[in-house]
Amino acid sequence: TLTEEEGKPTFNFKEYMVQKGASVNHALDAAVFLREPLRIHEAMRYSLMAGGKRVRPVLCIAACELVGGNESMAMPAACAVEMIHTMSLIHDDLPCMDNDDLRRGKPTNHKVFGEDVAVLAGDALLAFAFEHIAVSTIGVSPPRIVRAIGELAKSIGAEGLVAGQVVDINSEGAADAGLEQLEYIHLHKTAALLEAAGGEAAVVLGAILGGGSNEDVEKLRNFARYIGLLFQVVDDILDVTKSSNELGKTAGKDLVADKVTYPKLMGIEKSREFAQKLNRDAQEQLSGFDPDKAAPLIALANYIAYRQN
Amino acid sequence: SSPALSSQPQSIHFDLKTYWKQLILEINQKLDEAVPLQYPDQIYEAMRYSVLAQGAKRAPPVMCVAACELFGVDRLAAFPTACALEMVHEASLIHDDLPCMDDDPSRRGQPSNHTVYGVDMAILAGDALFPLGFQHIVSHTPFDLVPESRLLRVVAEIARAVGSRGMAAGQFLDLEGGPNSVEFVQEKKFGEMAQCSAVCGGLLAGAEDHEIQRLRRYGRAVGVLYQVVDDILEEQSKKLDYTDESKRSKGKSYVEVYGIEKAKEVAEELRAKAKNELEGFEKYGDQVMPLYSFVDYAADRSFSFETSS
Repeated sequence: TLTEEEGKPTFNFKEYMVQKGASVNHALDAAVFLREPLRIHEAMRYSLMAGGKRVRPVLCIAACELVGGNESMAMPAACAVEMIHTMSLIHDDLPCMDNDDLRRGKPTNHKVFGEDVAVLAGDALLAFAFEHIAVSTIGVSPPRIVRAIGELAKSIGAEGLVAGQVVDINSEGAADAGLEQLEYIHLHKTAALLEAAGGEAAVVLGAILGGGSNEDVEKLRNFARYIGLLFQVVDDILDVTKSSNELGKTAGKDLVADKVTYPKLMGIEKSREFAQKLNRDAQEQLSGFDPDKAAPLIALANYIAYRQN
Repeated sequence: SSPALSSQPQSIHFDLKTYWKQLILEINQKLDEAVPLQYPDQIYEAMRYSVLAQGAKRAPPVMCVAACELFGVDRLAAFPTACALEMVHEASLIHDDLPCMDDDPSRRGQPSNHTVYGVDMAILAGDALFPLGFQHIVSHTPFDLVPESRLLRVVAEIARAVGSRGMAAGQFLDLEGGPNSVEFVQEKKFGEMAQCSAVCGGLLAGAEDHEIQRLRRYGRAVGVLYQVVDDILEEQSKKLDYTDESKRSKGKSYVEVYGIEKAKEVAEELRAKAKNELEGFEKYGDQVMPLYSFVDYAADRSFSFETSS
């Protein structure tokens, strides 16, 4: 989408993602283990352990480390963020919502376990996310954990993720949706966890739990908002410029569904310029921090901006 | 109507109806403020429809407030959690009523949430109410009355109660279980919420662990008692009116599984068990009376809330 800048490969982003992703997988596996009633826990684990890059949890840990915390302080929150992401996918795929049969090439949760269990597994993951942060976070003062719980709750509810889904449902087929409504959807849906690289809550939780100052937390919140929006703009551009084969999904799907997109509203060129600006704005938020510790987040912003699928 | 049980109430000196009705007024007002109508309207309308439903008895919030007051702590400390209990309870009920679950077109004599707002909105309304409950606790509980460390235990308690080892497990077994599951289903679906409500009241007030354990056993007994008596009353009214077809499928009611005489025995045992737990709170004097009166109310239904208030 964007032309690659001159590389500065002092930081190995791929290795970082693999290593942190493995820690997260290990922690998730231990947190949601098989117990009675088995079928619900199987359903929870089926979707939770289905893979994915664990971008949100890694964002959470990276933000925590950026402000001076360590991985273990953020790990329960990182897992919680992934549990909630998983829950939103399970419910989103249901027949009464997007009615998807496949997710990452595997049958969706309700296809395997039935709609009833899929609804319950989602509800259980949502609840357990909060229990896990409240019970398993160690090395962080209770007021900070309480604050993190408030942020997480806000990011899901009717001011966050769910609100985005409602507006998204309403805007389908409504080609007259304006830029303002589109940004609302993306700020509340993408940046508030739903899409692949969002994660405002992930970043903010990490910053709070890692002991960041209010100023740190707000800078990182802005960073997350910029990259969430960036992700969506790039996604929209790829949807019109790439073939289905390259994307691994149905290209032009948004056009067919008559969903509002950035290229539709402002054209491809302006959308690309907008993406450049968002990436610059995002990285600007990190300028006051230790460059070594900021490297993972900067690499992530670039990864989102320059991805080809 | 004729009383379900024959033994005499012991809390005749306490006017539960007045205490309860007063609390319902306060809780309804606080819930009205806690779930405001805002953009996107549809989701908030759906949430408010269930949370502010006419005729809700508010048993979980009232139990929470009473348990908090038992230890001499102001009810202001308990209100946010009391409201949250109602929110998560309603969220569970909305999802339980869905076509893929119990397929109930009505609740409390009104069309159920999905009947009015559609299945997609009902799922999202539930998904939004769970986190809103947690958010409400952490943003509204007065920190001068309740330290954050206690709030973490409250959040964990509620999350556990609604999750895969609590009410979600009960609903799962209710959908899939055989006749032997009746005790488990009743304990999980109906005992959990009362148990959680009593325990949260105690946690907010800083009760000692052995007192929390007593509240746990007390609440569970009262919750199951209430449901067993409901089953008995339903059976008795069926005998009077053959047209009143029971919605409950077979194997889900104590009466259907064990017969009415055995169900009455079980109810008497639960009443005795609940009161036995309360004897451990003797040192708190008359402040324990509301908790006694709940037991008798659950058993005898000596008054009704049907008047418009």
